[in-house]
Amino acid sequence: MSLLEITGATRHYQVSAGLRRGRVLQAVRGIDLAVEEGEILAIVGESGCGKSTLARLLLGIEEPSSGSITVGGRPIGAYGRVERARLIQPIFQDPYSSLNPRMTVAGAIAAPLEVRGVGNGRSRLAAVHEIMDAVGLARYLAGAYPSQLSGGQRQRVAIARALIGEPKILICDEPTSALDVSVQSQILNLLARLHRSFRLTIVLISHNLAVVGHLADRVAVMYLGKVVEAGPTEAVFAEPRHPYTRELMQAILPPELGRGLPELRLKGEFPSPLAPPTGCAFHPRCIRAGDACREAVPELAGSERLVACHYPLREPVHA
Amino acid sequence: MADTSLIDGASASISAAPAAKPMPTPGQIALRRMARHPGFWFGGIVLGVFVLAAIAAPLLTPYDPGTQDLARRLAAPVWNSAGSWQHPLGTDHLGRDYLALLLYGARISLFVGFATVLISGLIGTVLGVAAGYWGGRVDLFVNFLLTVRLTLPVVLVALVAVAVLGQSLPLLVLVIGGLLWDRLVIVTRTATQQLVGREFVTAARAIGSSTPRILMREILPNITSALIVVGTLELARAILMEATLTFLGLGIQPPLTSWGLMISEAKSQFLFRPWLIAIPGTALILLILAINILGDALRDVLSPEGRA
Amino acid sequence: MTPLLEIRSLSLEIPVNDGLLRPIRSVDLTVERGETVAIVGESGCGKSLTSLAVMGLQPQNARLSAERLAFQGESLLGLDRRRWQAIRGKRIAMIFQDPMTAFDPCYRMGDQMAEILRQHRPVSRAEARERIVALLRRVGVPAPEDRLDQFPHQLSGGLRQRMMIATALLCEPELIIADEPTTALDVTIQAQILRLLADVQQETGVGLILVTHDIGVVAGLADRVVVMYGGEVVESGTTDEVLGSPRHPYTAGLMRSIPVPGRTRRGQPLGHIPGLVPRPIAPLTACGFLDRCEFRHEACAAAPVPLRSGAGERQLRCLLPIETPRQPAEPLVAATAIA
Repeated sequence: MSLLEITGATRHYQVSAGLRRGRVLQAVRGIDLAVEEGEILAIVGESGCGKSTLARLLLGIEEPSSGSITVGGRPIGAYGRVERARLIQPIFQDPYSSLNPRMTVAGAIAAPLEVRGVGNGRSRLAAVHEIMDAVGLARYLAGAYPSQLSGGQRQRVAIARALIGEPKILICDEPTSALDVSVQSQILNLLARLHRSFRLTIVLISHNLAVVGHLADRVAVMYLGKVVEAGPTEAVFAEPRHPYTRELMQAILPPELGRGLPELRLKGEFPSPLAPPTGCAFHPRCIRAGDACREAVPELAGSERLVACHYPLREPVHA
Repeated sequence: MADTSLIDGASASISAAPAAKPMPTPGQIALRRMARHPGFWFGGIVLGVFVLAAIAAPLLTPYDPGTQDLARRLAAPVWNSAGSWQHPLGTDHLGRDYLALLLYGARISLFVGFATVLISGLIGTVLGVAAGYWGGRVDLFVNFLLTVRLTLPVVLVALVAVAVLGQSLPLLVLVIGGLLWDRLVIVTRTATQQLVGREFVTAARAIGSSTPRILMREILPNITSALIVVGTLELARAILMEATLTFLGLGIQPPLTSWGLMISEAKSQFLFRPWLIAIPGTALILLILAINILGDALRDVLSPEGRA
Repeated sequence: MTPLLEIRSLSLEIPVNDGLLRPIRSVDLTVERGETVAIVGESGCGKSLTSLAVMGLQPQNARLSAERLAFQGESLLGLDRRRWQAIRGKRIAMIFQDPMTAFDPCYRMGDQMAEILRQHRPVSRAEARERIVALLRRVGVPAPEDRLDQFPHQLSGGLRQRMMIATALLCEPELIIADEPTTALDVTIQAQILRLLADVQQETGVGLILVTHDIGVVAGLADRVVVMYGGEVVESGTTDEVLGSPRHPYTAGLMRSIPVPGRTRRGQPLGHIPGLVPRPIAPLTACGFLDRCEFRHEACAAAPVPLRSGAGERQLRCLLPIETPRQPAEPLVAATAIA
């Protein structure tokens, strides 16, 4: 059994449009994914693909409209508030928004222990100092307020707060998107090291494929609320099977000379999640689409390499 | 540890920041800014003088505001050719010392002001935070209350309350406090809504915080600056409202006294002895001005998060 | 021939409570016709302010000084408001990071674009509309006639950015300044927008200043690169020179901190630049990168380092540049020499 199992999870929202009857926004349209203990699974996709909604479902902040998400065989919703916090912790994108401006660094990091009623003030401060060392924060910053810290330092505080209660699973939602590249690399190094030393299971949600390729063991590509391809990182990057994955990989701009600008073969625009296309949601933009793609929804099939496409790519792509 | 690059990064950030200089807290930064703000000084000093004078009233005048001396009624203030230092601000139509009335009246005006702001602040914060935090039906309900409140003319409500319950100081405080929470609700609701959307509130939920803890530790500390600013401006509004209601005969009654009552009682003397209205009127204007300037200064000082 | 844009020792000083901020320190920059020059650096390096200063849009209280700031050989220093307006939007156009905030949410797209055009050109409403539709079609906006009646919030991010590019092109400018034009966009849309910018430039021969933090974007689009750190140009040259063999420790550090699928090993530590960007409050008395440099030496602390010309077009502000290309991380002098 996997540590974290997502089975047929969907999430709908009622969107009110003035006086008219509200329409249904399908943010997550049926996802099956399993996350094994100790692995880093990346969920990639562009804005509107539902990856942030999935993150909220995984954190138990929202309930799936249908389907289930279980941790250790038990639905997330069945855990108590504190119990759940001991299992799963988030890291958010924007370290300027994820820390309370009126709380000191030590206050923010110690909060999970306080909530749980662990130890006294002194033992908690000792634990705070220890975790600050582990995430590379100087101890004298314990009394500082977020406005006095740099973006990278703030993200370290957020990571320390998530880790002080020794959770099993870390949900990282775009953990480095708001940071400069030289700081991003420090945070990525830190996450990689903490993953090893804390034996963490990490779900990494990102639109940055370079970051994903650097950290993740496995990748799941989402398009309009569904997983269209999943598999081991190296294999998916080297040989994408879904046409959308291939376009994503093509769109990466590595800091290397002589690559020029990528030539994408995507038609049209990202569809509205209020009115998803029939059949395969990607078919209006796909150059390979045939009649089957307009009519039937492709199933996510395969064993290690999963792909949801009627006409998957077979030949390796020479990037 | 194997990952030496990280350790380098940590030590470098230590050397990059001046470790010897302790970090100022946001409170210290605000204090430093206050010290530089002229509006804060003007507003604070004038309000402080009024509050101190009201508290120290018995030390500043030998007269009791209730003692009538009909022989010396309507004495002129000291700057008038007919005035004397015996009654520096003169006396009213019952021969009461006008300085004593002004000082003891300040007590009532300020008491009514602070007491009503306390009540309206409590009501406004509870309603506003609830509406902003829970949203949905709670928000609709609070909005309904707000709409109802905004349709109620304060003077008419006071008139009805006085007619039914009789005139008294506690009633006046309750009426004003129970009605002047509208702006506080609007401000705290908006501030709370913005905070709830921020990730640190989500993070607080994710670490297992209970709702009361989130409200007390994450929300309230972040709306206090807004509350202080609006509360200060509402203090001025409440003091004016007291004066208005009293002037109309719905508020303070003898033997108590307030500036509104002084103006009200002097209105028949307006043409012949204008100082009887000018003295409490000037005090009122000065106090309101000072409080409003203080409120503006507090907004400047407290609002932006940043370095000193 | 005079360059399209010529900047010599541009500086900006902003008085603040505790002194004088110096976000731009003596920056040199030239842009030729038809050339793309990228200004690269991390937040706070002064890249955006430099581009704003070219448009005369520096903060109100900032003091700008320059030996020369000339557009088509014509000095931009001390222009009055009317003469600026004749240049801004018409001869120099700007593309911003967030097209949502660059358009007024209360007006229809067509009206906003027509107003800009009619401000600079004596054209009728119908002519303006015709030209706008043609331009929108050119930048790949589907159903351009319909878009004119829409409000900014009704468009997707990618579409808004295309319309911003069309807006910039309205008056056929000679220079376009694009400040992080694709940072707010998804990767596939980023690729399309960059392609569009490259095409537009090819066709019109417009000069392009590309302000970005993304070295991948630079590699794909720029002819020349200017790397900024702490308000100074630390390295510049052709894209091939600078990205092919970065010689300033900062440029090299930036390059090493970027993960590249297929090249950096998964899970292995990436390079990084230790320390924090210092606040540019005092005049420099040493190399601006001193505190964070792994190759620093006594000489680096003695005095500010001048920008010197190297081989080819390269200019470098470093006393101990990295000599051998592609082999970083070998300190020439022990970092302990100072301290």
